[in-house]
Amino acid sequence: MFKHLFKLIWNKRKQNFLFLSEILVSFLVIFAVFSLLTFYYLNYMLPKGFESERVWSVSYSRNAKTNNIDSLNIFYENVRRSLKALPEIEELSFTSANFPYSNSHSTTGFTYKGKEMSPINNYVVEDDYNKVLGMQLLEGRWFNKEDINQRSVVINSTLKQAMFGDEPAAGKIVGADNEEEKWKVIGVTADVKAEGDYWPAGKSFYKRLDTGSFRWVGHILLKVSPKADAAFESRLSKLLARIIQNSNTEIQHMEDTRESKNSDTVIPMIICITVAGFLIINVALGLFGVLWYNISQRRGEIGLRRAIGATGSSVSFQLVSESLLLATLSIILGSFFALQFPLLNVFNVAASVYIIALLLSIAFIYLLVIFCSLYPGKQAAAIHPAVALHEE
Amino acid sequence: MLKNYFKIAIAVLKRRKFFTFISLFGISFTLTILMVTTAFFDKMLSPSYPDYKRNRSLYITGVALVSSKNGWYNGSSASFYFLDHYVLKLKTPEKIGIFSFSAKANAYVNNKKVVMEYKYTDANYWEIAEYQFLEGKPYTKQQIDNGERVGVISESNKRNYFGDAKSVVGKYIEADNVSYRIIGVVKDLPRSMRNFYGDLYLPYTVSKGNYKDVGFQGGFGAVLLAKSEADVPKMRTEYQQMLSKIPTNDKEYDKLYAHADTMLESMSRKLFGNDENVGISRMIAIVSLFILLFLLLPTINLVNINITRIMERSSEIGVRKAFGASSKTLVYQFIVENVILTLLGGVIGVFLSIVCIFLFNQSDILPNLNLSLNFTVLVFGFLICLFFGLLSGVYPAWRMSRLNVVNALKAQ
Repeated sequence: MFKHLFKLIWNKRKQNFLFLSEILVSFLVIFAVFSLLTFYYLNYMLPKGFESERVWSVSYSRNAKTNNIDSLNIFYENVRRSLKALPEIEELSFTSANFPYSNSHSTTGFTYKGKEMSPINNYVVEDDYNKVLGMQLLEGRWFNKEDINQRSVVINSTLKQAMFGDEPAAGKIVGADNEEEKWKVIGVTADVKAEGDYWPAGKSFYKRLDTGSFRWVGHILLKVSPKADAAFESRLSKLLARIIQNSNTEIQHMEDTRESKNSDTVIPMIICITVAGFLIINVALGLFGVLWYNISQRRGEIGLRRAIGATGSSVSFQLVSESLLLATLSIILGSFFALQFPLLNVFNVAASVYIIALLLSIAFIYLLVIFCSLYPGKQAAAIHPAVALHEE
Repeated sequence: MLKNYFKIAIAVLKRRKFFTFISLFGISFTLTILMVTTAFFDKMLSPSYPDYKRNRSLYITGVALVSSKNGWYNGSSASFYFLDHYVLKLKTPEKIGIFSFSAKANAYVNNKKVVMEYKYTDANYWEIAEYQFLEGKPYTKQQIDNGERVGVISESNKRNYFGDAKSVVGKYIEADNVSYRIIGVVKDLPRSMRNFYGDLYLPYTVSKGNYKDVGFQGGFGAVLLAKSEADVPKMRTEYQQMLSKIPTNDKEYDKLYAHADTMLESMSRKLFGNDENVGISRMIAIVSLFILLFLLLPTINLVNINITRIMERSSEIGVRKAFGASSKTLVYQFIVENVILTLLGGVIGVFLSIVCIFLFNQSDILPNLNLSLNFTVLVFGFLICLFFGLLSGVYPAWRMSRLNVVNALKAQ
């Protein structure tokens, strides 16, 4: 049966070549789109790792007159106390600029027993940061007063998995930034998807703000109570302007920045899907037309088969399986190209994403081909042998 | 002759409506996407409000310090000091405007939050950028030197802050708890104009930050305006000579990059280039490769359909060949027919693009960015159409011309 089908295909190799290349190109397009969607979907399904509701970020420009560390520390302790005194503020933490959804990045390297990893997101935060964001601790502990002047570091679970596998990480001495600088891992937190809901957390570690940090820190994260409204925000802004003088301050709600961060991903994705969708409609119509025409060309052959006793359904089955066989050839060729992505680890994306996308695109192409050949096949089944043979 | 071909082409199109529909759908849809994309890039790159002098402008947007020993890279926008101290000394430019990149400030009006982007500029900026003033006027050099707290606001900022107030010149606007007297209102511009976008324009002398800081990096940028387009290379040369003489004053960082690029160059440098290389050729290569790949699928589809349609006409071809038409004539005829088909698809594509662009402009995805189909876009669309028609017509025509007369006649 297959041998026969192959012979039929081979006899029409010139026509089939174009059919084949069309399916091949659409397969690759579909594969690219599905890879993207799978990647986003798998990330979307992961927990966010923190709560962005009722978290506000305050950024201020550092225009302080002095650069003296002691007076700076006193100054910002004052800011902290004034803010803490507000009943609407539940928790607060000064932080480096790269808090979640902030569009700011800071990366560095990480080494353990000669094994080096980079880039690693480098967050510099305070003792209450995990409370502000409601982060979940998986192992060890978060920073506290014990860590003053200690080289302690908290890592996230992606980094832990990559570096230590299933061994416990707390207590390990590692090199952060470079090999010589020794830091002690004190805890492991759950991954925080800081780049939006559709992106992985990446490998990250957290360091504690040290006493010299107020020279460069310019952001505060606040966890506010449900009572905090626009009137409070306005009061807060006035208060900030009074206590951090000569500065530009900006208050943002993390839910808003999250939305805009997500739309940065969603809008291009929608454009991509629309364009790919139209391409596929285009291809489907083309396949449909060509198959239809081919069948009308083969009326004689089909009539003959019908005359010697083939049933209508076996004729249409033959035509559909012919197209499926052609599709299979393209898919084998296309999969060869597609498999290079996980093999060569292109774009540093997990192999599972590509495999799922590959399976989805194979299923999609088969469905497309079956859909396009079903109606022409049915037409062929309806050919009346007497009429078809008479034409010849 | 051409008239005849045209008649035949129309007759063939009418014969099999389904195939005609598939072909036209493919062509017009592909063209629509390409034309909307072109309209978008055209809007990004060609002169538009308020930057009408783009063709003779160079923009300095960033300063990078590089340590070639350690491989460190430290990039940021330029400092006021750098622009004031070095760039303003240039002789060739007709005018040099200095501006800061906009930053956000909050204001609270009746317990409603208004977010505005403020931007510090000098006086020349207002002469280079041709803002349309709905009322009032820009601040003068005198006002800047005096450090007056005056500001120019955008139309949307006026609406957000003052509601439906008719005239706001002379009123005060509060941003970050500082009041500024409004002296002008300008028409809105899209956010894609990164160098010019702002909701509140202020004299640089009222900046809260210390703009006098000595150093190369800060929040500022500059636009250098040449006397004419022909003067741009000269201006660039002078700028580069000046730049090469600036010492980095730093033990760690030994290289200083601060590019004065045109709009196209700064875009290609950001996407495809680096500090040493503008990346224009790379951008052209990658973009054309992408367009080719994008065209591949509809083209193969069209070739497929075309072949099917010619084989249908084998008897006609057989008769023409039998009466002495050469292969060349037939190929020519078929290609002309195909180009007519693609041009027809092109016309539909233009209509679809107009609809898409209208919807885009209405949708406010990117506020104030109004795309339009202009001459450049239409010419580009026409070229794509021709390319498409030739590409998808040549192979089927070649196949057709090789048909054997006897077989072709007998096939019927």
